[in-house]
Amino acid sequence: MSEEILKALTQLFAIITKQDGGVSANERQYVITFFQTELDQDSLKEYLAQYDEQSGYGKASEGVAKLTSVKESVRVLGICKKINKTLTQKQKVVVLIKLLELVATDKNFSAQRMEIINTVSTVFNIELNEYKLIEDFIITTEPRSLNNPDILIGNNDEKAQPGRLNKHVHIHITGDLVCMRVRSVDMYYVKYAGDESTLMNGFIMQPNRVYLFSHGSTIKTQAGDALYYSDIIADFNEEIKTTKLSFNAIIEEFKFPNGAIGLRDVKVSEGPGKLIGIMGASGAGKTTLLNVMAGLAKPSVGKILINGFDIFEEKEKIHGVIGYVSQDDLLIEELTVYQNLYYNAKLCFAHFTEEQIHRRVMEVLENLGLDQRKDLKVGNPLEKTISGGQRKRLNIALELIREPAILFLDEPTSGLSSRDSENVIDLLKELSLKGKLIFVVIHQPSSDIYKMFDKMIIMDTGGYPAYYGPPVEAVTYFKKSTLQVDSNRGQCETCGNVNPEQIFNIIEAKVVDEYGQPTSKRKITPVQWHDWYRERFRLNKVEDVKEEPPHSLNLPNKIKQAVIFITRDTLSKLSNRQYLLINMLEAPLLALILAFIIKYKSAPGGKEYLFRFNDNFPAFILMSIVVALFMGLTVSAEEIIRDRKILKRESFLNLSWNSYLQSKLTILFTLSAIQTLMFVLIGHLILEVEWRMILPFWIALFSVSCMANVLGLNISSAFNSAVTVYVMIPLLLIPQMILSGLLFRFDKLNDLISTKGKVPLVADFMASRWAYEALAVHSFINNSYEKPYYRYEKIEAQADFRSSFLVDELERKRKFIDDNLDSSDDSVRKEMAKGLEIIRKTIKDDYFKRGLEQVNLETPWTLELYTPSFGKVLEEYLIAYRRFYQEAYNKAVAYREQIIYKKENEEGSTYKLNEYKNKYYNESLADLVKNVSTKNRILEYKGQLIQQINPIFLDPKPSGIWNYRTHFFAPKKYFLGIELSTFAFNLLVIWGMAFVFYITLYFELLRQFVDLFSKVNLPKRK
Amino acid sequence: MEILNLEGTEDTPKIILDKKNGIFEISGRSLPEDSAEFYRPVLEWIGNYGADPNPTTDFVFKLEYFNTASSKLILDVLSALEDIKNMKILWYYHEDDEDMEEAGQEFSELVEIPFEFKTY
Repeated sequence: MSEEILKALTQLFAIITKQDGGVSANERQYVITFFQTELDQDSLKEYLAQYDEQSGYGKASEGVAKLTSVKESVRVLGICKKINKTLTQKQKVVVLIKLLELVATDKNFSAQRMEIINTVSTVFNIELNEYKLIEDFIITTEPRSLNNPDILIGNNDEKAQPGRLNKHVHIHITGDLVCMRVRSVDMYYVKYAGDESTLMNGFIMQPNRVYLFSHGSTIKTQAGDALYYSDIIADFNEEIKTTKLSFNAIIEEFKFPNGAIGLRDVKVSEGPGKLIGIMGASGAGKTTLLNVMAGLAKPSVGKILINGFDIFEEKEKIHGVIGYVSQDDLLIEELTVYQNLYYNAKLCFAHFTEEQIHRRVMEVLENLGLDQRKDLKVGNPLEKTISGGQRKRLNIALELIREPAILFLDEPTSGLSSRDSENVIDLLKELSLKGKLIFVVIHQPSSDIYKMFDKMIIMDTGGYPAYYGPPVEAVTYFKKSTLQVDSNRGQCETCGNVNPEQIFNIIEAKVVDEYGQPTSKRKITPVQWHDWYRERFRLNKVEDVKEEPPHSLNLPNKIKQAVIFITRDTLSKLSNRQYLLINMLEAPLLALILAFIIKYKSAPGGKEYLFRFNDNFPAFILMSIVVALFMGLTVSAEEIIRDRKILKRESFLNLSWNSYLQSKLTILFTLSAIQTLMFVLIGHLILEVEWRMILPFWIALFSVSCMANVLGLNISSAFNSAVTVYVMIPLLLIPQMILSGLLFRFDKLNDLISTKGKVPLVADFMASRWAYEALAVHSFINNSYEKPYYRYEKIEAQADFRSSFLVDELERKRKFIDDNLDSSDDSVRKEMAKGLEIIRKTIKDDYFKRGLEQVNLETPWTLELYTPSFGKVLEEYLIAYRRFYQEAYNKAVAYREQIIYKKENEEGSTYKLNEYKNKYYNESLADLVKNVSTKNRILEYKGQLIQQINPIFLDPKPSGIWNYRTHFFAPKKYFLGIELSTFAFNLLVIWGMAFVFYITLYFELLRQFVDLFSKVNLPKRK
Repeated sequence: MEILNLEGTEDTPKIILDKKNGIFEISGRSLPEDSAEFYRPVLEWIGNYGADPNPTTDFVFKLEYFNTASSKLILDVLSALEDIKNMKILWYYHEDDEDMEEAGQEFSELVEIPFEFKTY
């Protein structure tokens, strides 16, 4: 108390007692007692002298009652104004009560004295009703005459007095114990009218003296009944009475995954409106207990029931009931303080309007003293923008904002200043008074904080509970157990301080050796404490309330959730400049570097760059795909890991995982779309690829990038650290490069995986191969040069292949059979039979069958069938075959030439074949898709002749509706009987992959798979 | 604006508040039963006057005695006058009444209005 205020009070005391008869000895004594609690001996004299002078103590009383002098009246006002400027409302109530008590010492309640006090109360802005209550409470010596809902009377009566508003508790006591609630400031006062030795906090209560009933106080009657602060609060509090909540935890044993026992025989049973502390030495299992009670870890033996619902089995019944504030920061660092709360609130309260949400957020911010910081970015611990205490408070705010019925907090005050700590606990206390049940792990609480808890759970090393009950009682319990003196006093007589450290000093007291050195052995082991505890305390089990607990949540629908997630995530990304810059620059820079380096001038003779002769174009396509994959993976790989903390917190909200994932995908896909578009634009611009290729390239690269996004999210959800994820990326990327079809030819792979004439199955799992094929085929067939002639070139190529190569091969086989018809050598005959079957199959699949109308092509041909006359028929057929295809070839060439001529010589035509070819056609790509470099144009494989050359002109044969497999660079594909262009089909495959990955992501299959491995215990060395 | 005119009694002061003629005066003894109720019309009147005051206002207090409860209301009256421009308080006291003089001085410290002390 400041000197100024004390002086003011002295004057007030003096002016009041001066009225009507002057100061009595008792009144003066009261003032002295008051000074004693505030002052040292020397100053006391000084103040007392002042008081005596101002009150006229010792001067002869003038006998006649005088009216209060006007000067003093105005002075009282002046003093009260001064007090108003410095004291809190609570302190003002204390001052008012002191004044009334002073007057009550000799019961000299004259009109003028009371008028002054009444005026003081008015200037203090204390409501008249409340003033009347306080006045009645202090003045009366007949508590039963009181009649006010803010009065609680404890006496021996079974029932409350009929017709009175007072609350009542039945206790064994003679006389009456009265408790008053000053509602506006939430303070409680008690007094005892009776002659027993009733103890408050271990000290005898003087009859009719008014005591402040502060947090953690206890009153004990002579008969041994105890009244705890929390019980009395609950009696007054309507909200607690109406809240239907029961929490019963019976944890017989909790084992850690490594087999160590974390908790043993812990039983907790609580109803609404309690603030429960959990204390213990480090490693005693405080956090473990909190986690088990909150449902984050399942007890090995035991269960947790909220209103009778098992929190592990009946999750949907209790969704949103539990709130959890972990020790770690669970903030979105890129967002501001306000935004963090705002989006959280939006996810919790679908039924709120914008205005309501704003108000709610501001209310919480003000409550936690963060309103001044609301527009600051949270930042990370290294790059601080708000202080540690503010971060902590924001963490708490995020849970407080939705006011869950049961709240668990892990060391909410660690790292906070004592002022901040007290604010936080005050806030929790206030919440508990609204009917919430709150569990707090607390470390080294100050006396004030310690006393604020309704109950304290004290854990001892090894997960043994050592105490569970009222906090101040804990001190006396442990003192008594060790037979210490003064053991029934939990707190200091004058200052009311409790020293929670004492408890741990007693619990962990060490045996001393003969030299007086403490040994490592404890005097009383955790097991002994636990046994004592079990002997002495009976758990008052709270009846399970059989109805669903109060839900504070109203979740928005899934689409709205997704929208909120998207906005929140976008904002956080936008505010991260580095992230944004790198992601926006990555694609254009890579495109620039790649395209610039490979822009190769190899035009024969010429000096200018011609797209036609850029040998690097096929490699450019592959690199583009790799870049798309890489960007897609890296951008998504950290997404879920980074959010994991926030997801942990939000897991109590039961938000939609699907909405969350969709929000991620929306953002990532958008980013991929932008990145790939920039890449394609710049790449094509530099390499002078024609404009009409931009869209297909972009679509293909975008698809690949999206697939990579989903894949990246999979690994992001499966692994615990970003480093692991980045190590995973090459593991996923390199196979994509190996099996893309360009670097290593599919027909020259390990025999175990390759299939001749088809793309190997393993490659089908690679998005790169699908994308590469799609782009290569599309750019060859649909470029502006090739497009009009592709059909004819296809006929030319196929006719040429048949007339010049295939027919030779068939004739050779026929000749071989002819020549060896009489041979009886088994191996030769086998060879002949094989050849004959190949001939049949090839002819069967061919269009040209003239001359073989009489021959059955459907059933296998055997050597018995092959007579010299049959050989003749076949020989003639093959001659006709060659001629037919030669003619077809010539016709196609002629037709094509005709078209070229027409195009070039049309009216006003600027068409020049060669110019088009230089601009739009790429020789290198053409060589690739025509496979001109192959040595064997035909390959015999598994009883079939396989065309190796010109895959781009070879349509696959549809076989079975499910068979999608074709040779590489096939121009079109069949699936489910539908003919699709390679481009369309391959993109569908890539999107199909993305979809499958989305499914695995949704069910977190990869994570479960990884977890399976982490459960395998490596043998430990002892 | 209507004139507020309350005749004084043994326990209540005489009050005249007349905007037109520029008379603002509280005089006599103030110990009403319910001082808040008694001064309510006065405070209301001042509230209305504050919306459209005269260019200058000389408010006269010429009190013989007031009790503690009234002192709070007088302070309220003074606080209400505080917001009015060109306000001056004329605090009259009997030349033998030191208490009243000091009370006026204490009041003048609680509000920010110029006080002029006069004896009668």
